[in-house]
Amino acid sequence: MFNLKTLDKFKPIDDKTYQVIDNDGKVIIKDWIPDLKDEEIVQAYKDLLFERTADFMAVSYQRQGRMFTYPPNLGQEAIHIASGKVIQPEDWLVPAFRELGAWLAKGVSLWEIFLYFKGHEDGSKFLNAKRMLPISVPIASQLLHAVGIGYAMKYQGEKAVAFAYVGDGGTSEGDFHEALNFAAVWDVPVVFVVQNNRFAISVPLKMQTRSLNLAVKGVAYDVKSIAVDGNDFFAMHDVLSFAREFVLKENKPFLIEAKTYRQGAHTTSDDPTRYRTKDEEDEWALKDPLKRLQSYLISKKLWDPSEDEKLIAQYKKKIDSEFEKAEAYPEYKLDDVFDYMYENLPDELKRQKNNYQNYLNHVGGVK
Amino acid sequence: MKYMFKFPDIGEGLEEGKILEWYVEKGQSISSGDSLVKMETDKVVTDIPSPKSGIISARYGSVGETVHVGNVLVEIDIEGIVGEEAQSIASETVQKTSFEQVEEKGFGVVGTMEVAGDGAFLPASGEGKMENKTVSEAAATKPTGRKVLATPVARAMAKDLGFDINIITGTGPGGRVSKKDVESFRPSKVPAQAKALSNATPEHDIEIVPMSQIRKTIAKNMSRSKHNAVHMSVMDEVEVSDLVDMRAKLKLEYHDKGISISYLPFVIKAIALSLKHHRSLNAEIDVEAGNIIYKNYYNIGVAVDTENGLVVPVVKDVDKKSILELAIELNAISEKARDRKLTLDDMKDGTFTITSYGSIGGYFAVPVINYPQVAIFGIGKLAQKPIVQNNEIVIGNVMPISMSVDHRIVDGGEVARFLNEVLSYLHDPIKMLIL
Repeated sequence: MFNLKTLDKFKPIDDKTYQVIDNDGKVIIKDWIPDLKDEEIVQAYKDLLFERTADFMAVSYQRQGRMFTYPPNLGQEAIHIASGKVIQPEDWLVPAFRELGAWLAKGVSLWEIFLYFKGHEDGSKFLNAKRMLPISVPIASQLLHAVGIGYAMKYQGEKAVAFAYVGDGGTSEGDFHEALNFAAVWDVPVVFVVQNNRFAISVPLKMQTRSLNLAVKGVAYDVKSIAVDGNDFFAMHDVLSFAREFVLKENKPFLIEAKTYRQGAHTTSDDPTRYRTKDEEDEWALKDPLKRLQSYLISKKLWDPSEDEKLIAQYKKKIDSEFEKAEAYPEYKLDDVFDYMYENLPDELKRQKNNYQNYLNHVGGVK
Repeated sequence: MKYMFKFPDIGEGLEEGKILEWYVEKGQSISSGDSLVKMETDKVVTDIPSPKSGIISARYGSVGETVHVGNVLVEIDIEGIVGEEAQSIASETVQKTSFEQVEEKGFGVVGTMEVAGDGAFLPASGEGKMENKTVSEAAATKPTGRKVLATPVARAMAKDLGFDINIITGTGPGGRVSKKDVESFRPSKVPAQAKALSNATPEHDIEIVPMSQIRKTIAKNMSRSKHNAVHMSVMDEVEVSDLVDMRAKLKLEYHDKGISISYLPFVIKAIALSLKHHRSLNAEIDVEAGNIIYKNYYNIGVAVDTENGLVVPVVKDVDKKSILELAIELNAISEKARDRKLTLDDMKDGTFTITSYGSIGGYFAVPVINYPQVAIFGIGKLAQKPIVQNNEIVIGNVMPISMSVDHRIVDGGEVARFLNEVLSYLHDPIKMLIL
């Protein structure tokens, strides 16, 4: 069991990282037993495979010109799937933009995500996901929202936690520091998850900060913090579960630096070969979260890898049908762009709307 | 039915991409999600997967060719859909295909795009209209009383070049005129087709190679300079025996330290000193505002010949650096240029340019100004020649130089005075020490 004593052994100031399994899926902590049942672990693996397949398909749809810019999740899925297992219906999920598996676990439909990345705001409605904020494009701004939510929950006496996500680059934003400070001085129930994938678009971590690691930034604000191997599903699950309990019991925030690697591009408009080496990519391929969890399951005789192919084929069908659902969604109306700011549309906006309508009539776009 | 798969905008506002590799052949059967082609764009090199399953019935474009967003890449025969729909889509193909062929041969863009009909024009404004009617014959082909869709940079460029933006046909969405459209626009009465075929037809033994990005940039910059600056050139010779001795000595001394000393740092120093006394050569014209911008900083571009084409890295603040410091920096720059490691930062903010064509060959030249700078200094081939000294013919070390300036801002007298100063330093380099 991960407890306060374990937390104490992995001090950010000592630059320690909590890890349960090695690159071959072998447990490296003596006497460690998972706090999940075998079938739950198998389900986690399947969820991870689903996220990876959906992500792969999303990039493919984008390359086919059927979707706009998309940020791939490849390599970071263990963080998302572990989050999905830990976050409860009463908890809030405050996303950045690269947590696909966690969103799905919260109840977001895949077609909504596709719709969003097709440029349709209705994709942010998240019809079946309770207590989740929309994707936040301005980096780190969502952390302040999470602190506000935490403060509100505390005020209302709710027993729930806000899980807020940010990337390594986001820790250089003022919002990150404001959020940590307020979270600490107000004692609010927020778990901050920093997905340190080593690149803020093309800026490598060593150019991003002079800090020893990112978890140590939490220490300065007196926020309990720990660095975790983000490609290790069990390590992430242990720490996230502990963090949730800790936050509820102590009424204090918690920060997790999940050390991972963005195996794909920052977004479909980015070409990582321009700023990193093949050697580095190969090195991280060995730490791939899917492969590690699979090796663990195989060693425990819980999984037959020949199942993967069948599952992927099945997932692809499901994902395709979700995408077709997004494609069939009614198009945006021009009225929606203009009609909600003013009760009576000002002349200048009337002129713009009229001009745009003429333009659309000409190019044969949406009406 | 036939499905036309068009090259999608896979970036954010992408206009074109280059075909690197085809993965499919005509007649091949494919599933949706299979890779069709590898494309290189401004942003990424990536595989483009097929959105449909079926059989490839046609493939457009060969490796190395540039494809515009919206052009058809492949036709896919999808089973199960026949009849009118297939017919109408097929006829669209024919139209598309013929358009593509026109583009491939490098015809002018004028008149080939149907999209930019009159409906794309917004209400009138004076913007983009020509001041002087130099291309009035072209202007007659389209009404100019309406405002065409165009990017701001395209508008500015058209204005600079004296083109009426309204007569340029745009290839962007809704017929929007882009920078590229302005660049490829050629005002002319002669039909573009006839022009393109005049000296390059398939009957001749020719090879058509797409221009590299660097070649395109060079071509653009050179045209811009010749379009805008009024070039005037002057040539001279200077006896540099003292400089030859001084450099030979230093070269030997620094050889062991791995620093190679050429004549260039001496020339840069001489120019930096002289520019301070002749500031109109270190300036720029702002025609629009009617101003001359004098620059109190001295960043000298050095034209470097590489296998891929000419690049001009810039040595910054040369007036604050010693000859040795300049030499070290030049070594670093030429290494970077050779390894293709120069960044945009290495090449920007130049105020004056030097070309040392003589290191390859040639005594005199008429260099093209690195616009919007106003002067370029060329160093010819250093050679031993008979010269007259104290009424006797002796052997001298002669450096020929050629300079071009923009006569709009620099007059002949000023160039001569500037050159006199530069050459006096090169003739007698000790002088540079005391200044």
